[in-house]
Amino acid sequence: MSTLHVLSHSPFGDDRLNSCLRLIGANDALLLTGDAVYALQPATAPFNALSARAPTLYVLAEDAQARALDIPADARAIDYPAFVELSLHYDKVNSWL
Amino acid sequence: MPKSLLIVSRQAPWSGPSAREALDIVLAGGAFDLPIGLLFLDDGVFQLASKQDAKALQQKDLSANLQALPMFGVDELFVCGDSAAERGLAPSSLALEEVQALNAAEITALIDRYDQVITL
Repeated sequence: MSTLHVLSHSPFGDDRLNSCLRLIGANDALLLTGDAVYALQPATAPFNALSARAPTLYVLAEDAQARALDIPADARAIDYPAFVELSLHYDKVNSWL
Repeated sequence: MPKSLLIVSRQAPWSGPSAREALDIVLAGGAFDLPIGLLFLDDGVFQLASKQDAKALQQKDLSANLQALPMFGVDELFVCGDSAAERGLAPSSLALEEVQALNAAEITALIDRYDQVITL
């Protein structure tokens, strides 16, 4: 079974991203929304951890745009309709509340 | 067959309502005979510290509720071994005897095995 992990908290001063990267499976994907997109800030510990683990990565485009963050080439920028499609594509969604 | 549900509890017991709410979901699920599991992750492992005493805080700790889990038919109880070790909690010292320590790969497999997962 596959899981879409959804993060929405800033990775600075919070260990959701690290724990998620530790547990994410080969068939799983990670979606960054809200302040979680700050993980894309280059040359930071969260960005390096993300790059090292290199999960299948989706980013909610409007949240990255609002925060002036570039979306890496190996990530897919999505909008809300695509978010809904992703949620249905994966067997389950794990929102790290 | 009802869908199986894994609750991931990752907040310390005194940092807000999350820990109690996660436990309430598990107890409610257990009361309705849902196949339900509970994983303590990150600061959530502090819920399992022995000898918590919140009398001076005028609050009740979660220990009694945790002990009730097997009575509610919830015996799928897991703790992230790394989270516990990082926080200086030995698996043998935890308040809940039935809890099983898992490594990262085992937790990946655990999440995979359940139909739905709620992380609080």
